[in-house]
Amino acid sequence: MNTDLIPALDAAGLPGPPWLFHGLLVFTFFLHLIFMNLTLGGTLMAFVANLRGGGRPADADSVFARRLMGVNTYAISLAITTGVAPLLFVQVLYQQYFYSGTILLGWIWFNLLVLLMIGYYAAYLHKRFRGPWLGVSAVAFFAIAMTHVAVHLIHVQPEKWAQFDLGALSVLRDPTYWPRLFHFVLAAVTFAALVAAWWAVRRARAGDDVALNTTIARSAWRWAIWATVLQMVDGFILLGVLPKPVLLGVMRGGLPVLGPLTVSILFGIGLLMMLARVSNPVEKPGLVSGTLAALTLTIAVMTVTRHQVRVLYLEPATSQFQATVVPQWGNFTLFAVLLAVGLGTVFWMVRRVLTSPAEGDEAA
Amino acid sequence: MDYPIWNVAMGGGVLMAWVAITHVIVSHFAIGGGLIIVITETLAVRRSDPELRELARRSSLVLILVSTVFGAISGVGIWVVAGLISPGAIAALIHSYVWGWAIEWVFFVLEIVAALVYYTTWDTISKSAHLMVGWLYFIGAYLSLVIINGIVTFMLTPGEWLETHAFWDGFFNPTYWPSLVLRTGICILMAVAFLLWPAFKAGADRRPDVVRYLGWWFLAGVTVSYAGYRWWEAALPDTVTALFLGEAPTLAGLAATRSFTLWSLTVALAVSVLALLLAPKLARGLTAVVLMAAAFGFFGGYERLREGTRKPFLIHSHLFSNGLLVSQIDEINRTGIALHSGWVAAGDPGLENLGARIFAAQCSSCHTLDGYQSIRDALPTVADMELVAADDPPGTGEVHYRKQCSACHRDIEYQEMAGVLPTLEEIRDDPEIIRELNLGMITTTVIQLREMGVEITAFDRETTFDMRGLDRPSMPPFVGTEEEAEALAAYLASLDSAATGGER
Repeated sequence: MNTDLIPALDAAGLPGPPWLFHGLLVFTFFLHLIFMNLTLGGTLMAFVANLRGGGRPADADSVFARRLMGVNTYAISLAITTGVAPLLFVQVLYQQYFYSGTILLGWIWFNLLVLLMIGYYAAYLHKRFRGPWLGVSAVAFFAIAMTHVAVHLIHVQPEKWAQFDLGALSVLRDPTYWPRLFHFVLAAVTFAALVAAWWAVRRARAGDDVALNTTIARSAWRWAIWATVLQMVDGFILLGVLPKPVLLGVMRGGLPVLGPLTVSILFGIGLLMMLARVSNPVEKPGLVSGTLAALTLTIAVMTVTRHQVRVLYLEPATSQFQATVVPQWGNFTLFAVLLAVGLGTVFWMVRRVLTSPAEGDEAA
Repeated sequence: MDYPIWNVAMGGGVLMAWVAITHVIVSHFAIGGGLIIVITETLAVRRSDPELRELARRSSLVLILVSTVFGAISGVGIWVVAGLISPGAIAALIHSYVWGWAIEWVFFVLEIVAALVYYTTWDTISKSAHLMVGWLYFIGAYLSLVIINGIVTFMLTPGEWLETHAFWDGFFNPTYWPSLVLRTGICILMAVAFLLWPAFKAGADRRPDVVRYLGWWFLAGVTVSYAGYRWWEAALPDTVTALFLGEAPTLAGLAATRSFTLWSLTVALAVSVLALLLAPKLARGLTAVVLMAAAFGFFGGYERLREGTRKPFLIHSHLFSNGLLVSQIDEINRTGIALHSGWVAAGDPGLENLGARIFAAQCSSCHTLDGYQSIRDALPTVADMELVAADDPPGTGEVHYRKQCSACHRDIEYQEMAGVLPTLEEIRDDPEIIRELNLGMITTTVIQLREMGVEITAFDRETTFDMRGLDRPSMPPFVGTEEEAEALAAYLASLDSAATGGER
């Protein structure tokens, strides 16, 4: 391929072997997806549920919406926090492509920051004042998803950069754009719905407002079923509209590529079967937990597949460049140790908090 | 320089300044706020003081709303904007310091989780557990400063890194410790500036006590900041301090910024002593506004000074702000910028159009056409010549000459120049003469900038460069072949007639 428009690799080289950064990128992106799914899927569902609740505070839909937005108090902050790491590692591995993609989008990419602030503060305003803020938040988060899909598709197709330079919005006409977007949105809805169902089931099983929590669990379960049904259709469409060289790359990729893809498709079908077996989630708490765990695993495997598809998209370009590796193993080790200590501290802190309930004068 | 170019009318530098300024204010507040809030809660528990407890509690809402999202988004924003306006430069920085940023991210995760837990567990967990969360928040936040301070100071004073290219040589560079002390003081200043507002909500009987309590914090912040600032100045290489210190500083604007910075701190000190410590009953919203303005003035002045003294580098003596490595100058001068960048090579090969793409690649990270650091304003025009030649009313010609021309014609007095210029009538009869004259001047300047690059390549690359002897010490050199220099000059000269027809 013609690599004229692709910038040179950074002269400093990679501060570690490529496999390390591929691994870190996939792992941290998976962490980000967990909270991103709660934020995006939760806000979209909350918006619909809030409308259906019609402003009646005791209505199950209204409670459902409030609960989802309650989770978002944490999820939005954590989605941003966990998003920092994959943003860092993608810049290390794919600086030539990623920066070029963002520059071709220009203000649209910059506005991601504005949309994030609008999305978060509108969610906060919704909790305080109600009004139209939940809709504003949902639109902002959906627009962020659109931006991410756009920058992804632009950065993986350097052969089309000259065309995108004339108008980056032509990426919306990319055959994979909409299927890819809805692939992420539907996954987000499914995940947030299953978390909401799992939580409602726990509370119902604990005897806490059983009728209300049963209604919420059923409602969330229905969201998960329909989103998964649509996901199966959308997933196969996405696979079908992938550029031929990429699709061939997947098919000829052998076990390392076909394995995760096959596993994730099988997981998807399995998820649908598990979801369809339950009419009242409260009666089958084990299956609910298992379904949530299976979905989390599916997302993890799909994160690998997504990354492999990116590698295949970019292979004609990346094969023209040979990155030098100047490993900083000491610094990586320090990072790994601090990551373990840091996550351990977070775990310990949360545990200490959960085991230190207090009331009245004894409380903080 | 080999990336596509994002054209921002307001100027990429201005956009970066807005994002970076808001981020540093919020992020320093997040650190200092964490310290003051958790110590305040500790005191509240020990003294059973409900007013101090309420101060900590109210402040924690500000902390969560401002720092966990706004601080985080604006921090990411710095990467986003840097990637848009200086992609090559930020890529170089990230490749050298990715593990530093990764470690900072670990502390950031701890900070954010602790902040969320701290805010949401008031009244629901034991005092000791809540304090533990508060301290973990502060530790996470402060350690993130400890890390990022190494990367930020490295950019101005890479020190021994220039010789060894070793991570820790750059990290613990000559200004690391002074800057850490300075920023610690600034964290406290920022925190008090914000926390005064929740403090004003205290009950009338206790309000003076609470305000005075924050006053002592502010005084500590001023003291630590001043000590850190002086230490920072002392740790800078002479070649850098000469830009803004001494009887004839190289960059007069930076010298003025330094004065502004220190006067802002003086005002902050005076107001805090008077209104917070001596007469806390008189402290009102206006007091807080003045203190905020003074504290922000000091902080903003220092950041401006730091950025200004680093110009034209992103990493001093190694990487220019437009993404050009010092080590690339020779090669690009030999082979040409078009060979180096496909975005420059692509398109109409005509001289002016090629020049436009060269301008985008090499100059647009600092200059806009008509906005911030407007290149059109910096170029000679027919209208300039007319004003200088007309001198009507008398005296205005000289004023305009000093304003518009003397930056380049430093050694030529107005009368001398007026003597060799064509008359106003001659200019109006044949403006092309002036346009050709201007093209000649611009070409000379671009060639001088190219020669400046050759001079820079002769510097010892293992020590901090002394830019003072250069023609334009705060600009990157032009790189490219002589033909490309002519193309850039032709484009720049065309800006006069293209947009204004010769009228400014």
